[in-house]
Amino acid sequence: MKPMVPDQFKERYGQIVDDQDAFFTSLLKQIPKTFRVNTLKASKIIVQERFEEYGIDLKQVPWYSDAFISQDNSIGNTLENFLGYIYIQELTSMLPPLVLKEELRNSEFIFDGCAAPGSKTTQLAALMNNKGTIIANDIDYNRIRALKFNIEKTGSLNIIITNLDLRLFPEKNSFNIVLVDVPCSSEGTIRKNPTMLSKWSNQKKRIPGYANLQQQLIVKAFNLLKPGGCLVYSTCTFAPEENEGVINWLLENHLASIERINIPKMKLSPGILEYNGKQFNSEIKKTVRIWPHHNDTDGFFIAKVRK
Amino acid sequence: MIIKCSPQDQEKILIYFEERFGIQRQLFEDFRFYSASKGRIYIGPKNLIEKPKPVTGGILIARISRDIKPTTIFLQLFGKNATKNKIRLNKEHTIRFIQGENLDLTNNKVQDASNGYVLITYLDFPVGCGLLKGHHIRNVIPRPKLLDLEFL
Repeated sequence: MKPMVPDQFKERYGQIVDDQDAFFTSLLKQIPKTFRVNTLKASKIIVQERFEEYGIDLKQVPWYSDAFISQDNSIGNTLENFLGYIYIQELTSMLPPLVLKEELRNSEFIFDGCAAPGSKTTQLAALMNNKGTIIANDIDYNRIRALKFNIEKTGSLNIIITNLDLRLFPEKNSFNIVLVDVPCSSEGTIRKNPTMLSKWSNQKKRIPGYANLQQQLIVKAFNLLKPGGCLVYSTCTFAPEENEGVINWLLENHLASIERINIPKMKLSPGILEYNGKQFNSEIKKTVRIWPHHNDTDGFFIAKVRK
Repeated sequence: MIIKCSPQDQEKILIYFEERFGIQRQLFEDFRFYSASKGRIYIGPKNLIEKPKPVTGGILIARISRDIKPTTIFLQLFGKNATKNKIRLNKEHTIRFIQGENLDLTNNKVQDASNGYVLITYLDFPVGCGLLKGHHIRNVIPRPKLLDLEFL
């Protein structure tokens, strides 16, 4: 059966998106295959030359020079994938490390609170050129297997894995940078998994529970920052309760400030300031929403928080 | 769980990499060696945290028991610096090797490699680890890494 966007979904998000038709149509389009070159093992030029020899067309992502789009589903069956020269990753998932690019240059100690399966963690390692130390934590031991696999495949030497509920992570550790890509209702990944649309009315009921968990996770992530340190909070959902709502809660309860995010050549939308009658702190306009129809990606939310 | 590697094990590994593959110890100066159960040796960052106890650090580079067994991931990462005990495969053999097959190179040259663990290459790419005995290469690539290649 062809997936359809439920009316309740349209009603909920039609009020906060700029172009309803473009948004709802984009959700039913298959997401393109994308990857980044793993600069720890290979140069972009070598990968481009090899793919040209294979006859696989690549399009460079305008806002990230290491990332490429391909319409060919075989990129997973290339020697370059086997060797870890490329890492298949959805474009929005590349954003949290990318918005930290400047900070990473001077940071020795980085923490990734919900790290598995390691797409963002290994990208951080690449951006740091294997210098410094990244603590990659995840609560789920089974998912840590995937994290280990990806660390080894990419040759990421500066990562230490820990296995703990982030909420229990000892605060005697403190970091220059903390990244927390929290568990969420994952509505932004509908294009990858269209069956989610038929289950959406059930999934929606879980949003308040996620928001509660996310508040607990963001406060721990914030407490693990050194003064002046930078926290990047991200989700792959459209739900304001899990995005602006969580950041608003942090601002109400902690001395945090929000920093502007700039990704040249990518269309970004500011965080919303009002939802369902609730007003959010005006600083929240500095957070970023990525709508699927703007850049042909999944949906995503990012906030950059300074302590 | 990982702990700091003993100086004796670290030295054994460094000497093995130098003598077997010509991979120089200076390459590892920015990193620290760690050990875990079953003789596993990792190289990872110099800084650790005490609590919670780390599960692993960096990448698994070798296992020490009676012999030393280098890992495919180690050779893929540092193999470009290897000067000996390398075997260069043709396209057909590379596809079969990455599918997990053992190879019999009777009709091919094993070049100047001696029996023991060898670096398998295709063109100039370090592909992984094999165990050479005579003209026979036993495939030691871990199963989860195996792949049916369409492009190489």
